[in-house]
Amino acid sequence: MNTFMKTLENVLLPIADKLNNNRYLTALRDGFMVALPIIIFGSIFVVIANLPFLDRLMSEDTFLAYQNALGPASASTLSIMGMFVIVGIGYKMTEHYGNDGIYGGVVALTAFLILTPQVLEGVTGVIPTASLGAQGMFLGIFTAFFSAELYNFFVKKNWIIKMPAGVPNAVSKSFSALIPITLTLTLFLIVRILFSYTGFETVQNFIYTIIQQPLTKLGSGLPATILAVLLIQLFWFFGLHGQIIINSVFDPIWYTLNEQNLSAFQAGSELPNIVTKQFIDSFLVGMGGSGMTLAVIILIFIIGRSRQIKELGKLGAPAGLFNVNEPIIFGLPIIMNPLVIIPWLLAPVVVTVITYFAMATGLCPPPAGIIVPWTTPVILNGFLATGNAWQGGVLQAVNLLVVMAIWWPFLKIMDKSYYEKENKGTDS
Amino acid sequence: MKHILLACSAGMSTSLLVSKMEEVAKEKGEQVKIWAVAQDKVIKEIEKADVLLIGPQMRFLKKKLSKIAADANVKMDVIDPVAYGRIDGEAVLKRALELLKEVN
Repeated sequence: MNTFMKTLENVLLPIADKLNNNRYLTALRDGFMVALPIIIFGSIFVVIANLPFLDRLMSEDTFLAYQNALGPASASTLSIMGMFVIVGIGYKMTEHYGNDGIYGGVVALTAFLILTPQVLEGVTGVIPTASLGAQGMFLGIFTAFFSAELYNFFVKKNWIIKMPAGVPNAVSKSFSALIPITLTLTLFLIVRILFSYTGFETVQNFIYTIIQQPLTKLGSGLPATILAVLLIQLFWFFGLHGQIIINSVFDPIWYTLNEQNLSAFQAGSELPNIVTKQFIDSFLVGMGGSGMTLAVIILIFIIGRSRQIKELGKLGAPAGLFNVNEPIIFGLPIIMNPLVIIPWLLAPVVVTVITYFAMATGLCPPPAGIIVPWTTPVILNGFLATGNAWQGGVLQAVNLLVVMAIWWPFLKIMDKSYYEKENKGTDS
Repeated sequence: MKHILLACSAGMSTSLLVSKMEEVAKEKGEQVKIWAVAQDKVIKEIEKADVLLIGPQMRFLKKKLSKIAADANVKMDVIDPVAYGRIDGEAVLKRALELLKEVN
């Protein structure tokens, strides 16, 4: 078992290293981080706009006026989140190259706008917000990558207009960015023109049809989700932050699916997706952290006898309530512990399947596209994620019990062996 | 004053460690400033630090972060997983101070 684990670790560590030192994936992850506070702000107001019972307390007109008044909070954030991600990616990649990040961010945004159709139902001079949100997510990400690469390439070429000494720094900076920006954006304009002669008409259409649609379709399915969940757990088993590693690949898909649900939720129509960003963040991570270790902590309080386990429960509980579980992962320990590999891998898969089917059958509404901070405690985050549906909280409570049941025998064995060791110690 | 920077994915779990380490430092009368950040903030915070310690779950970033640390002339290490699991402020503080001694 030990040599097998060593081998597996030797496979996983380089993968984690590669994924996280890849400048595109790093920029992608950091780009989403830039957008996060903004989309959480929007989410807060979606929650407030849809508080339970309000529609019954207010007259129909008042309720509509109330929702309309709060609308801009999410319409300017969540619904067009692609824009913030693009700026974040452009900024972070340019910073990575040691250049002035803000120009990279703005160039990426401009390049994206150049590729975006600026017409809606025959009306010109408009930018459809849909293309700044879910629909344009992948185009935005690719555009940000390419434009940042091009911009930094041109900066490196150093075809810049040098200012004489004595010119204020900001002035010479704005000039020094001029040539790289002009060259980069010109290329994007040419791409736009070229695409207008193809059957796709716009690059947006092209990326959406060729890449985004197939990928999100794949990512919204149960098999891909189970695979992602298993990989996250496997990385964590070796003490590597699985979430951060896998998310950098899956986030574009999960966020896109999330956005689609949000538009449907706000339009009052049926939610198209079950698996979304919040499916993962609330129903898998939001129960004490990756691996749903809050269930393990509760179980420790119920069946724990050994001093070591009980101490750990006390140590891990306050953080676990807010979904921080490193004390449990490294303390139980979960890492490299063959005894827990079965519940560690199995429980999240079972919960994924239960949650998926509860949502597919309508027992619980799917996530409404609201981004709940991952540190929100269990039950509450299930409630918020499903658009203030009590079923979301109940589903989490049920899942918690399921995880406890799966862990029970394994924790019992572990606790017993610790207990015996401790008591032998005091006898001798 | 010794400046100890801790980093993990979001600066959450290492911040648990910060308060434990501060307690121990206070008992021992060590003059330290300890703070925790998300790993992507290390590059900005490193210049204020004398030593950098990263959570064991971030050890796949060791290569990248050790380069950043070396460029800033800061010693760095990955926190021992056992000490991390126990939120053992004493052990981690000891390690940090050891690393600082190596500098001198």
